[in-house]
Amino acid sequence: MTQENNTDFGSLNTEDLDTSSVLEGAEEWSPIETKLVVGSFIAAGIALIIGLIIVPTSILH
Amino acid sequence: MSKIQRFWYSGMLSTEDWWAVWLGLAFFSLGLLTLLGIDLVGWIAYPSKWVFNMPEGAISKKIVTIDKAFYALGGKYSLTARDTYQSLGPIGSILVTYIIFTIATVTGAYFQKWDVKRYFIGWTFIFFLTYLVWFIGHHAFFAASAVDLKRSHFPAMFTLSLGGGASFILALMAGLIIGNFFKPLARYLSEAAKPEWFIKTAIVFLGVKVGYLPIKAAATSEKIGHALADLTLDLFIAGAAATIVAYLIFWPGVYTISRLIFKLPRKTAAVLASAISICGVSAAVATGGAVRARPVVSIMVSSLVVVYAVIELVILPGVFTHIWPGIKDPMVAGAAMGMAVKTDGADAAAGELLDEFMRAKMDETSNGTVIWPEGIITVSAVMTKIWIDMFIGLWAFLLAMIWVYKIERQEGEKVPFSEVWFRFPKFVLGYFIAWFVYLGIFFGPGHGGSAEGMSVLKAAEAGAVPVEKGMRKLFFMLTFMSLGIITDFKKLAEAQFSKMIWVYFIALFFFIIPVASIIAYLFHHGMTLPNMATPGSALLGG
Repeated sequence: MTQENNTDFGSLNTEDLDTSSVLEGAEEWSPIETKLVVGSFIAAGIALIIGLIIVPTSILH
Repeated sequence: MSKIQRFWYSGMLSTEDWWAVWLGLAFFSLGLLTLLGIDLVGWIAYPSKWVFNMPEGAISKKIVTIDKAFYALGGKYSLTARDTYQSLGPIGSILVTYIIFTIATVTGAYFQKWDVKRYFIGWTFIFFLTYLVWFIGHHAFFAASAVDLKRSHFPAMFTLSLGGGASFILALMAGLIIGNFFKPLARYLSEAAKPEWFIKTAIVFLGVKVGYLPIKAAATSEKIGHALADLTLDLFIAGAAATIVAYLIFWPGVYTISRLIFKLPRKTAAVLASAISICGVSAAVATGGAVRARPVVSIMVSSLVVVYAVIELVILPGVFTHIWPGIKDPMVAGAAMGMAVKTDGADAAAGELLDEFMRAKMDETSNGTVIWPEGIITVSAVMTKIWIDMFIGLWAFLLAMIWVYKIERQEGEKVPFSEVWFRFPKFVLGYFIAWFVYLGIFFGPGHGGSAEGMSVLKAAEAGAVPVEKGMRKLFFMLTFMSLGIITDFKKLAEAQFSKMIWVYFIALFFFIIPVASIIAYLFHHGMTLPNMATPGSALLGG
């Protein structure tokens, strides 16, 4: 399977493993990332409360 | 997004995802023909627990002699062709299974533009090695429980009591030996070692299993049939809620760990966060595309996903069975497994192992008075994973929009909503079709398991069992074998991404697994399994 196919559709494959680093050059943490992370946690909290109330098998029931 | 022009039907004949649907639904459809009195699936070869020689006084019940180690499932379940399938014998049924699945999978390989000759040779090798391992793994020493021994009137003897789980572990070990000690062979076999394809196909077969569970239970009692139908629907709803909550906690948590503690670049952190927190390879690939990370990031992360999935696969079923939550909360264990183990293959396989371990433990603990239905714990593990898979497309779409409109602020760029469809895991469609059709048979012509629907349910059972039991387990076995073959530990070590290995390790074991366990507990605690040993009492054993 080609690398392009891997990117498009995905299949387990350990071949063509490029060792060049993609782990360096981290950007500064930006406010939008804070928004993304905090917003996601808040959404999780809301989903948890709604889920516990409406799902019949939750510990609230 | 990709600049290649795509239509809604793109990839239908050329991707593993779609070919899992075609393969799964083809055999599911053949199974349905038993409703018309035509049995075209009973040839599948299935193992029994065996010994070389029966001890004096023992009977062939749960354990048989070596010459009966395999049998065609139709020889036991078919209503119209039982004699034909019985006459195949062990070798005949294996050969028929080989011929039919060779034709089916080689056709898939051809349309996916793989090297057909190499696939055929590799497939043949993997197929027969898988059956050999399946055979060994069902020797009574590995597979028989104390209850099996008792029912077959065997004298007390030491066995590992691993049930069908022994075969899965042996298949993985055999694959890992090839993948790490016979590398030229592993490279050759890699054309046919396709764990994602095999497991996605197995998951479509699992849809048959989920739909068939109430039918099977109805044969014991109408009440248990309804209990199982309700249980699978409960799992469906609880799994959705748990997955949404888990998703929204996992991703930002892992992203933050990657960015703030390990100082990874944004794109790498995003791909890693999706892989560890969502659904391994598919999510890594989808996110890589969404945020436009270099392809190597997705591939490196995918390699890590495989390795850690194997580690989880070995550790978690035993931990969940013997330490926490144990047989008191099997559904919590299954749901936590689905949220913690990445890759569909490893999760479904780990769920299968958990199912075997839990049922064996309950069987032994209760001295055979409580028998849980096979497969429902696997279903609980797969259900959360299915929901996770379904959200991959939506998540990739959201990330694409956030990256385009917020993080990278590329003026004028549009993200089409069709991206969700392209990222949607298509094999899930096959799973739901198979499930709902059998559920429809149960509640429709099957009259919910009452006496007037029993003849229809018996006919449905004859077509469902070879698919949900024989074919599903065969494809699980192929998955384990293939997963081992493509896992090269040395190559991963050489890739010098130790930082990523540590991110994955810490995020997985100190964040994902504990949080998954808590969320699974919140939504699944107290769910009980029907006791198949006591027809009159529907919900014991929990």
